[in-house]
Amino acid sequence: MSLDYAALLYDPVYGEIGVPCEFAAGELEASITVIDDTRPKQLPAGPYVDVRGMGPGAFARIPELVANGIARADWQDAVLTFNGKDWVVRSYELRGSPNGEDQGEVRFLLKALE
Amino acid sequence: MTDVREAILARLVEVVATVPNLIAVQRNNTDWPDILPAALVLDGDEEVSTGNDGSRPSNRPMLVEMTPEIEIVEQSDAIGSDLTTFRRDLMKLVLADATLNTLTGSNGKISYLGCVTAFGWKEKNFGALQMRFSFKYPLKPDDL
Repeated sequence: MSLDYAALLYDPVYGEIGVPCEFAAGELEASITVIDDTRPKQLPAGPYVDVRGMGPGAFARIPELVANGIARADWQDAVLTFNGKDWVVRSYELRGSPNGEDQGEVRFLLKALE
Repeated sequence: MTDVREAILARLVEVVATVPNLIAVQRNNTDWPDILPAALVLDGDEEVSTGNDGSRPSNRPMLVEMTPEIEIVEQSDAIGSDLTTFRRDLMKLVLADATLNTLTGSNGKISYLGCVTAFGWKEKNFGALQMRFSFKYPLKPDDL
């Protein structure tokens, strides 16, 4: 019998460090929980120069997205509002799960909303 | 004392600072924080162009060529056209600057050597434009 990683890992973690997030894509609006994954970032601007800053991101549980009627086709260009800021999904990466990728997480790669 | 190299680099920073819409210009700061759009002027390599052929005296004047680099960094939703605009403005300002042209002298010249770009993501689409110029000018060791 395989372990239920959602019950044993993801749900407790999201319960502790997850934050409320409003997900909007066209007519679709939903309230979900995400983990703020904004990270410091350093980008090369040439052979000798680096520019520091931050790269915004957020983790979400795919089962929670599905339960809210959010399909994978809705992810790109969706607007996420959490921790007082609005972001647009510019890309994403599936994080997988021992129970299958649809039972795992997605990491949304975000950009600032104009 | 007349150090043409330093005079050119100092003036180059002043000229870059006049590029429209830049909010910061630094010289030789290779670890730049998130203050954009910005320009970073890097002192360039210098090579003797003519006059170093072994004839005496050793302190004779020579013609040297310096190649400073200018990095323009920005993040925006239109990063490509933004960098193109910076490139156009900077090229015109540097090549036409009267002080820089005077510093290079009648035997020297200012040349645009080209540019290199790099892109990535921060809060917005990040881009860097590295522009290279050549400054050929007389170096007179006795004047240093």
